[in-house]
Amino acid sequence: MKIKRILIANRGEIAVRIIKTAHKMNIETVAVRSAVEPNAMFLSQADVVYDNTEDTSEIPVFLNIEKLIEIAVKTKSDAVHPGYGFLAENAYFAQKCIDNKIVFIGPSPDAIYKMGNKTVARKIAQAAGIPMAMGSEGNISDEEEAVSIAEKIGYPVIIKAASGGGGRGMRIVRKPEEMEKMFIIASKEAEKAFNDPSVFIEKYIENPKHIEFQILGDTKGNIIHLGERECSIQRKHQKLLEEAPSGALSEKLRKTMGRIAVQIASAVNYYSAGTVEFLLDSDKNFYFMEMNTRIQVEHPVTEIVTGIDLIEQQIRIAMGEALKYRQEDIKLKGWAIECRINAEDVQAGFAPDPGKIEKLHLPSDSWVRIDTGVQAGSAIVPSYDSMIAKLIVKGKDRKDALKNCKLALDKVWIKGTKTTLPFFRMLVRNPKFIDGDFTTAFIEKDLEKNYNSSEYEEMLAAWLATKLFIEENFTDKSINDDNEKGKEMSPWLLNKRINQF
Amino acid sequence: MDLSGKHYKAFIERQEALKKQYNPKQAEKQHSKGKLTAQERISLLFDPGTFEELDAFVTPADQPVEFGKVERTYGDGVIVGHGKVNGRLVFGFAQDFTVMGGSLGYVHAKKIAKIQEMALKMGTPIIGMMDSGGARIQEGVASLSGYAAIFHNIIHSSGIIPQLCIIMGPAAGGAVYSPALTDFVFMVNHSSYMFVTGPNVVKEVLNEDVTSEELGGAEVHARKSGVAHMIYDDEENTILALKKFLAYLPSNNVENPPVVPDDGTTPDINEKLRDIVPDDPNKAYDVKDIIQLIIDKNSFFETAELYAPNLVTGFARLKGKTIGIVANQPKVLAGVLDIDSSTKGARFIRFCDAFNIPILTLEDVPGFLPGTDQEHAGIIRHGAKLLFAYSEATVPRITVIIRKAYGGAFIVMNSKSLGGDFSFAWPTAEIAVMGPDGAVAILYKKELAESKNPAEMKKELVKKYRDKIANPFIADELGYIDEVIDPAVTRKKIISAFSALSNKWVKVPARKHGNMPL
Amino acid sequence: MPNSKPGIKKLYALSSENKRFCFPQPLKHSIRIGKREYEVKLKSDDKYGTYILWKNRKYPVEVVSSRQNRYEILFNDISYTFTVETPFSMQRKKVINAARGKTEKETLKAPMPGKIIDVLVREGSNVLRGEPLVILEAMKMQNEIQSPVNGQIIKVLAKPNSNVMKDDILVEIKVE
Repeated sequence: MKIKRILIANRGEIAVRIIKTAHKMNIETVAVRSAVEPNAMFLSQADVVYDNTEDTSEIPVFLNIEKLIEIAVKTKSDAVHPGYGFLAENAYFAQKCIDNKIVFIGPSPDAIYKMGNKTVARKIAQAAGIPMAMGSEGNISDEEEAVSIAEKIGYPVIIKAASGGGGRGMRIVRKPEEMEKMFIIASKEAEKAFNDPSVFIEKYIENPKHIEFQILGDTKGNIIHLGERECSIQRKHQKLLEEAPSGALSEKLRKTMGRIAVQIASAVNYYSAGTVEFLLDSDKNFYFMEMNTRIQVEHPVTEIVTGIDLIEQQIRIAMGEALKYRQEDIKLKGWAIECRINAEDVQAGFAPDPGKIEKLHLPSDSWVRIDTGVQAGSAIVPSYDSMIAKLIVKGKDRKDALKNCKLALDKVWIKGTKTTLPFFRMLVRNPKFIDGDFTTAFIEKDLEKNYNSSEYEEMLAAWLATKLFIEENFTDKSINDDNEKGKEMSPWLLNKRINQF
Repeated sequence: MDLSGKHYKAFIERQEALKKQYNPKQAEKQHSKGKLTAQERISLLFDPGTFEELDAFVTPADQPVEFGKVERTYGDGVIVGHGKVNGRLVFGFAQDFTVMGGSLGYVHAKKIAKIQEMALKMGTPIIGMMDSGGARIQEGVASLSGYAAIFHNIIHSSGIIPQLCIIMGPAAGGAVYSPALTDFVFMVNHSSYMFVTGPNVVKEVLNEDVTSEELGGAEVHARKSGVAHMIYDDEENTILALKKFLAYLPSNNVENPPVVPDDGTTPDINEKLRDIVPDDPNKAYDVKDIIQLIIDKNSFFETAELYAPNLVTGFARLKGKTIGIVANQPKVLAGVLDIDSSTKGARFIRFCDAFNIPILTLEDVPGFLPGTDQEHAGIIRHGAKLLFAYSEATVPRITVIIRKAYGGAFIVMNSKSLGGDFSFAWPTAEIAVMGPDGAVAILYKKELAESKNPAEMKKELVKKYRDKIANPFIADELGYIDEVIDPAVTRKKIISAFSALSNKWVKVPARKHGNMPL
Repeated sequence: MPNSKPGIKKLYALSSENKRFCFPQPLKHSIRIGKREYEVKLKSDDKYGTYILWKNRKYPVEVVSSRQNRYEILFNDISYTFTVETPFSMQRKKVINAARGKTEKETLKAPMPGKIIDVLVREGSNVLRGEPLVILEAMKMQNEIQSPVNGQIIKVLAKPNSNVMKDDILVEIKVE
């Protein structure tokens, strides 16, 4: 079946991304205007804009299933692309689309549900014989069970939320006496964040690397992987920088892990794009963590080293086409690095720094790809996210890519908010990072400061401060003969003032 | 003709003796405490080469005047004279703590009184730099009457010439009234103190242990008592700031202040002004952000910043000409008026009125601060001061209503009925007898009590109130404000309004003075 | 005798980490590195905004705040805070700090009962007198509670979404 019009249930850079590929494929796009950002860049690029600015509902439109279905029907869209975040991994939303005869550009509701619930996912993986961290069979019912399971697994362990991730509902427990307390805290946090207090327990792997594999599957049962991404540079479980491929994987390990990734995807009859996450320990043992049933923020690095447009593949798969690639066709060429440039203050612990982008100049060299949803004049709105742009560079190998990354970062010119640029500028000069010697604990353990100010930069800033001081205090601006003339007044007024008393 | 003849011997001897008195060892006494000497302070204040000292060689009254080579202290602990500050004639004095502790004796006081009288005759500002141990005990009642003469002169000149003072050391007992009577007081942090009764006496009488800093340091006076208007961390910055400040003021109550040309970088129309007030009426913003966008670049000099921060006062320039600004600050105490802010505002307005400085009022005030603390302490009296000051002022007065303007506070903040010349309002203005929540609660009390969903109903009624009653267009149509303006053109509007008012003249009533509540 | 030139020959920019940068007065539009002088220019245009031109490279710069002699400069995406001192004020700082001895602590109390909406600082943050530390909702409005002193936050007791009474301690500050 042919898709003619896609409703984009998202905004920002991913909406721009989807529109770009849809246009390439001559498919129309529908975007939703919300009151919070009525002049967002993606709106001007879509073919149809549905104006939702009068919506007084408490739920933001991109989380409002009923509303989105209504918009799809009203705009005669025959498909919906959920992007990432929002409702992308909401099985109920996917089902509702199908029920309303709207194609959901993503996997089946069943796959979303199964992989979305972490304990269900673990059970499936276990049944398929996938290597994973030892853990509880299912959800933990109470503190006692938590303690006894942890004893069996052996400390340190990690408590995780069954219904979500991103660090919430997650607690590392190293000592048995902390277990009860942490279990309760993690449960409560999970309930608050995901409306589900269920948690399970796994062995905690110290300082692992986070390696994930990109999966593509079609509705005919063909599933392949497109190589890995190295995502260990994270802060509080939020990724900051990703690479493809990973310097930690030998060709053999890549083949093995890739095969396992495909196996997991097969266990739920997966189709569309998805990502299987692994942890890799210092002995190169890998453990399945979870599967993300959506397109991910960092997909561009895979697109660059494989030459495949993943959004296009998603749309084709959704149209029922068979994958035209076989595993042997997938070759990783060169290296790609992506830096997430967010409106965050690195000096204040990456606290969001919302504001208006006054000036924005991004490099346009051939070895740079920019994925962004903002332009000069755009506002970074705290109710959405703080992303300004994804800076993606390519090189013929890692060294080359790092060199290009350094050059590109120095060319980025953003005025109006503080950004994560100082962090990346420091990172690409950090010896351990350059050597590839880093794990997910890198930012917390191996970095003293999250930014580096070069000595000359501080001195130039000091020079400017001194200049301002001199201008304010030592420059004689106030009176000279010319100014005396300016304060003359009319004879009318002078006469009145003199004779007033 | 050389200076070596016998006529000149005494002259030269005296000059040498004076130089010896002001030697580096003396200076070190001040420097070791992080303070400057009186001469250094004078040098910093006045333009180089312009200071003419008067009465440098007077000797204190109780010292026998002898001939011979006995050391005499010249000057009696204060340097007085005139000079140019940024090219403008100013009289000034600096007390010298190294000479007899800067204590005020009969002759010391006479010197100060002399330049006070001259300043009044010449119509020039007078600046005092105080650093004194207090009255000279040895001289008894003569030093007390010396103080009285100084106070009398200040009062005599009040409102005729600007009188500024910087406290750069101790000022205790009677000495504090001289700064208290002047127009603006600057203090230096950590090295200046003002109190009527010092810590020693406090300890004796009340058995309370308190340091000079805690009792009357710069922070205390800037934040709590409101006696000090501007404080700085060191002496140089204080003096530099005072020089900057002086440029906003006229030399006397007949002349206009100096004009400092605008560099032309402030746009007359600025769309950023539309973004400052949040959509949510309960969210605060910083009124200083608005101020910065409508005045000449970097020309805002805030006074009494730390005292009653819920009302912002200060001087600024519009196209080079000085104006005074009074603005409610929504992000502190919701911008309400209370006792402290009423007196702060009233004093500032009266200064501007005395010296012909036009006043711009930026209004966003939900009312007066409720509560027994305020009521029992006399908010009625103090609030009336602000009302009186505005109404009495004959300088050009313009109001821009930014957001809330409710009830009594609306009247007080320079409404047209009080003689305000022009009143503008932004579309975000809400002008009403009282805020929507209060009004709805009173007018719809019965309906809300009977409603099944009072919260929902209240929300709707509040919205209706804002649309139908509190919106500025009604006040506009009835003539209580002159125009509802686009925030972006605020600067353009007020410049042209002040320009239209530049020749404003209103005759003051024939009376000695009004009976303002105090 | 009064009439000598003040003669301030150099100025110091003191960073928040107590690093000193010395500049001659009058200020040159160049900075010396080793034996060479490199020109510094402050420029502004529509395309790039305000920037500093040095060694043929443009650096974005913003003056975030300037109060008395304290300046916060955003230079190439990193914020620096400096106080500009004369030789005398540097010496004075030393003298005054020595005289005051023990470091003082200042407590910031709630001026009225209300709900904490936001806490803007953390332990260790450097703050300036007047800088907002906590947003307190009271009387239907959000109020900024400002720091009474220059200093460093020792302890943050205010928690977002909690209710406080008048005079409850919100923040403890080590006075500079």
